[in-house]
Amino acid sequence: MGTFIQLVIDGLSTGSVYAALALAIVLVHSATGLINFAQGGMAVLAAYFAWYLTNQGVPLIVAILLSIVFSFALGAVVERWLMRRFERGDPDTAVVVTIGLLTLITGIAGWLWTYNNQQFPSLFPLDTVSFLGVSVSIRSIGTTVVIVVAMVLLQALFVGTKLGLALRAVAINPQSAAFSGLPVGRLLMVGWGLAAVLGAVAGALVAPQLTLTPGMLDNALVYALAAVILGGLTSPVGVVVAAWIIGILENLAAVYVPFIGHDLKIAVPFILLFVVLIVRPQGLFGRKTVVRV
Amino acid sequence: MTLLELEDVTASYGPVQVLEGVSLSVPENGAFGILGANGAGKTTTLRAISATVRTGGRITFDGKDIRGLRPDQVAALGIAHVPEGRGTFGDLSVRENLRVGAYLRNDRKGIDEDIDYCLDLFPNLQERIGSNASALSGGEQQMLAVARAIMSKPRLLLLDEASLGLAPSTAKNVYDAIRRLRSESGIAMLVVEQNANLAFTLVDGATVLETGRNVLTGTTAELKGMDEIRRAYLGG
Amino acid sequence: MASASSLSTSSRSAAAPAAAAPSFRQRRWVRMAAPLVLALVLAVLPLVLPEFANETIARIGVFAVAVLGLNVVMGYTGQVSLGQIFFLGVGAYVTAYGVQNDWNIVLVFVLACLIPAVAGLIVALAAARLGGLAIAMVTVALPIVGVPLAKRLSEFTGGSQGLSARFADNPEWTGLYDDQWQLYIVLVIGGIVFLLTRYLVRGKYGRAFAIVKGNENVASSMGISPYRYKVLAFTIASLIGGVSGFLYMLVVQYTSPETMSFGHSIELLAAMVIGGAGSIVGSILGGAWYVLVPQLTNAVDASLTALLQGAVLLLVLFVLPGGLASLPRALTRGRRRSGADRGVGAPPTTPSSTAGSGTAAEGSERERQGPA
Repeated sequence: MGTFIQLVIDGLSTGSVYAALALAIVLVHSATGLINFAQGGMAVLAAYFAWYLTNQGVPLIVAILLSIVFSFALGAVVERWLMRRFERGDPDTAVVVTIGLLTLITGIAGWLWTYNNQQFPSLFPLDTVSFLGVSVSIRSIGTTVVIVVAMVLLQALFVGTKLGLALRAVAINPQSAAFSGLPVGRLLMVGWGLAAVLGAVAGALVAPQLTLTPGMLDNALVYALAAVILGGLTSPVGVVVAAWIIGILENLAAVYVPFIGHDLKIAVPFILLFVVLIVRPQGLFGRKTVVRV
Repeated sequence: MTLLELEDVTASYGPVQVLEGVSLSVPENGAFGILGANGAGKTTTLRAISATVRTGGRITFDGKDIRGLRPDQVAALGIAHVPEGRGTFGDLSVRENLRVGAYLRNDRKGIDEDIDYCLDLFPNLQERIGSNASALSGGEQQMLAVARAIMSKPRLLLLDEASLGLAPSTAKNVYDAIRRLRSESGIAMLVVEQNANLAFTLVDGATVLETGRNVLTGTTAELKGMDEIRRAYLGG
Repeated sequence: MASASSLSTSSRSAAAPAAAAPSFRQRRWVRMAAPLVLALVLAVLPLVLPEFANETIARIGVFAVAVLGLNVVMGYTGQVSLGQIFFLGVGAYVTAYGVQNDWNIVLVFVLACLIPAVAGLIVALAAARLGGLAIAMVTVALPIVGVPLAKRLSEFTGGSQGLSARFADNPEWTGLYDDQWQLYIVLVIGGIVFLLTRYLVRGKYGRAFAIVKGNENVASSMGISPYRYKVLAFTIASLIGGVSGFLYMLVVQYTSPETMSFGHSIELLAAMVIGGAGSIVGSILGGAWYVLVPQLTNAVDASLTALLQGAVLLLVLFVLPGGLASLPRALTRGRRRSGADRGVGAPPTTPSSTAGSGTAAEGSERERQGPA
């Protein structure tokens, strides 16, 4: 039982990382109608930025905060100067553009910092705490808590502020938003910037565990995309729940299903996806009508 | 005093030219109509003003050339566009729609007052204030679209086919409210309308477009007296 | 496609007054003789080229076939697939396993086509249900799941060590060297795949693919099931991927989980876009890009490969959406643009700016011009 709870909590923590990335993908999709395959790559670049700063003697927490600022700018710049001409055009072309961006970012990181694994310092101590007789890693709890707080803050921004209202309005109907005087282009940049920030938070939290490489989040991207499909592109809550389910299930499967083991646990979300696709093609929480026409 | 003036305006979507040369003017506090068959360029004329189509010619607002601005910059000058198909924000509540309309303003108290004014103007919206716009009826959505536009305190309202798809009694309600708005606020209006009978209850003058050009311009009284207008637009 | 056809006609009419005769390429005997000359050149080339060149051309042939498969589903049918390399890998493993167990080589070839095709069919049946970008989002998992899966199934795949297999050794009677013989096999099998695919995409199915790519609603309204044609295209792409895996084993004689890595999958997609999406010639150029560019960049600095691939891919998407295959056309257009008759024969630019608003009209436009 102790192992089980430990596995669930660790799963929740990796699931939170997938959730942050998945939420970033949903955010970008609702604002600009495309799937950003470079979402993980941008987060890796932010993690490298933070890592580089810590090597220059900047305290870790400051380095991460600076990398978050860097991410916001990166997201905004990518939207304005790379993606804008492909938005609301053919979504498949736009996807290829984001794949080009992923390749470019991976290439830049590999060129600047090599493809070798780099140690990224952890924000949390590597100890465990005992809780009701179960020992749980502080890092797992910390990761989960930070990401949940980030998501709550984002939700508060969207629901409770004028900027959030404007971002939602632009996502729903850019033309009417412009007719009301909303600077659509700048708001799209903000949307991409916020998505990149979410990714950067996830990247900084998971980097100590995975060690930093240019392809560090390739697998996480795949999990995040699975969560996006399972949760439904229009349902942020559904996506987060799906990501947690994936995180927990793969952790349990790795230990309790001998054939899967740790090396094949990445197949878990896709087995799940297969089952769900056959039973509920609109995803667990999505609405039937929103599949692209 | 002329508020909006179009001189020989052309417009095209890609290679397809839709406006061949449209001229009109709307005086301050005035209301002017654009009539014409489907595809004559009525909607495109409004889009030319709000900068959502590529244009040529001269468009001046308050004496300043506004061609080349972005749509949100045009809106910031005080031109509010109620587009064809209403363009409300489906996933936002009625109140949120109105707040988006007031995006350019920062006077909290004034915004709240104007929301109350809108609800007074369109009492139907009062009871739906918390509902999502997508849950409203067609008539209510049209009312919301007009209300959202006036939340920005515009000097000129561009109104595109406000009666489209509405039952005659609903269309009349919408126009009654807009007439009241005009008399109380003095907002100038440029009105595109298929239903000329309805348009003539609101506008002082109008122009008739055919294949992207003006063919006839006059005051409401003059136009109502013309046989061809009666035959083509007033049902006999 | 629409702009392509209008371009070629207008360039012909622009050239007509100057040349006063059909241009070189239009002459009947040239059109008849060109394939023969090409076949002859390909038949002689392996005999005169050095070994290294033959091997390189054979590798280009292998990946040209892989890119061609990707083109069927992506270039012609408009469905982004990030998993094409997986089917190459499966084909290679099946070939290696069959050869190691001394199965008949024809049977091995058939299985190397069929097993990837069935795998592709199963994936497509699920992924295509979602529509939109789901195929891209699901297929990205194939290489990422494929690599650990190949490591795990070590009794079939040799685990991380991989499998080596030599087959199709040069028979005595030919008097050829191994590299020459292998290149001939690649040219023959690859040539047949290219001809069949060309036939496919220019025929009834190709028209249906083009309509699905253009507008799924229009396709449905014409009685063409987007779902069924997407599954079909994906299955054919997987089958062609299997063929390329067979050829890969023939030429490289070794495969490992690394063969189907995520990085290679993306490089293959980049090669297809850079070569030219929806183009037969583009597939060959894509194969050449896939093989030659890493060779060139490795000579300078291996860590630059990904950077260069990404930069060129983005550059192509911005300035040459038709890829390298459209370069000659883009150049002639550029020349005509700068000429004096500007505006007269100007090609209608695709009205992408009016996308959202005029989809129905655009769709019917494509419906008329698509099959050109």
